[in-house]
Amino acid sequence: MSDHVKEITAADFDREVLAAGEPVALDFFSTECPPCEALAPKFEAVAEQFAGRVRFLKIFRQGNRELAQRLGVSGSPTVVFFDRAGQERGERLGGDEIKRTALKAQVEALLA
Amino acid sequence: MPESKDLPTRWDLIVVGAGPAGLAAAIYAARARLRTLVLDESVPGGQVKTTHKVSNYPGFPEDVRGKDLAAAFALQAERFGATIRRAVEITEHDLAGPVKRLVLDEEETVEAPAVVVATGARPRELGVPGEPRFKGRGISTCATCDGAYFDGKAIHVIGGGNSAVEESLFLTQFARKVTIVSRYDQLKAEAAIVEEALHHPRIEVVWHAEPRAFTGEGTLQGVRLEDLRTGALSEHPTDGVFVFIGHHPRADLVKGLVPVDERGFVRTGEDMSTPVPGLYVAGDLRAKPFRQITTAVADGTIAALAAQRYVKGLERHAAQVMSPPGPGGAVAETAGSPA
Repeated sequence: MSDHVKEITAADFDREVLAAGEPVALDFFSTECPPCEALAPKFEAVAEQFAGRVRFLKIFRQGNRELAQRLGVSGSPTVVFFDRAGQERGERLGGDEIKRTALKAQVEALLA
Repeated sequence: MPESKDLPTRWDLIVVGAGPAGLAAAIYAARARLRTLVLDESVPGGQVKTTHKVSNYPGFPEDVRGKDLAAAFALQAERFGATIRRAVEITEHDLAGPVKRLVLDEEETVEAPAVVVATGARPRELGVPGEPRFKGRGISTCATCDGAYFDGKAIHVIGGGNSAVEESLFLTQFARKVTIVSRYDQLKAEAAIVEEALHHPRIEVVWHAEPRAFTGEGTLQGVRLEDLRTGALSEHPTDGVFVFIGHHPRADLVKGLVPVDERGFVRTGEDMSTPVPGLYVAGDLRAKPFRQITTAVADGTIAALAAQRYVKGLERHAAQVMSPPGPGGAVAETAGSPA
């Protein structure tokens, strides 16, 4: 279903995120997580809007716990944003209340 | 799941919020053959979907998972023809007039003569230092989402009501130790689960205490508690905190249109009506003494029946205006706007 969002694992993190050469939005998701299910279609829609300019990735938190812990992610879903240089930027988004407009605003800030 | 992007514009009833109240309203409205659209910014289920199990909803002799109950509500509404639009954001709204309009995701407009607002309530925050910083970094309000990451860990649950105690019991599946922090000298949950919690080998309770700060480097490491009797502060190391201290009304859509109580919950008539004709409020968003799945479902049912009467009344009224008055009979009936 996901044409614009690619799933990665911790092994891909350096290449896909830190060395992406473009801004990245990375969604840590879990199973048994209704807020994660709710975020998915919004994440996909915004990814489609910014296709070619910002990379949208998702990563399964349970399967990549070490990376999640290293980044201090301990809630699902959590969206972390990185700039072109692979530096984390802006506020992380999390919980049941992630709005499409908030996601868009964060992504636009990465491009500014 | 396949979801067509283009919705019809005109509906008989739009329900905002796909929790138990909204979905009960949708079931009744759809069965009454109202063209019914349900909108939710998340997936259906409201607060039920993140409740690990429900034990007091009639019809289920065994516990039912909140997620499953939520899914069943949604399937039942869809079975009768209601359309549920998931993960949608209402970016503009005008609910004051005879035709209520909502703009979805800045791109689609839907309208209906009647709207049931069942947007419920969002978890209340403590409002103490460190809380925003550690939200999603050790502080959670969703045990089913985050509980599994705490296996072997020592965690704290803030609150002593039904949610706090139920979810504490759930969290004992993973955590080595669950410490409930209660403001009172008792837990204000149902006696059955209070007993279970108090006898649980992995659950401890800190009585008459409240968090004053969350601390840690990067991730959450501790919680500072105040003893409400003495004012003494103490530091407690923790691996994670779950907060269940009640809810705030999500009243944005009806702000300024309807009367609210001192906490912002909406006052309605007994038929869930508001002073705005065609606008109904149901579920946890209402000012009322008890907020349960069963009371939400009852509200939704009543709202749908009242809205149905209102919409049919408008239709009859329109039919009369369109055609010359017939001889006698039901001519005098007017639109059933709330008295």
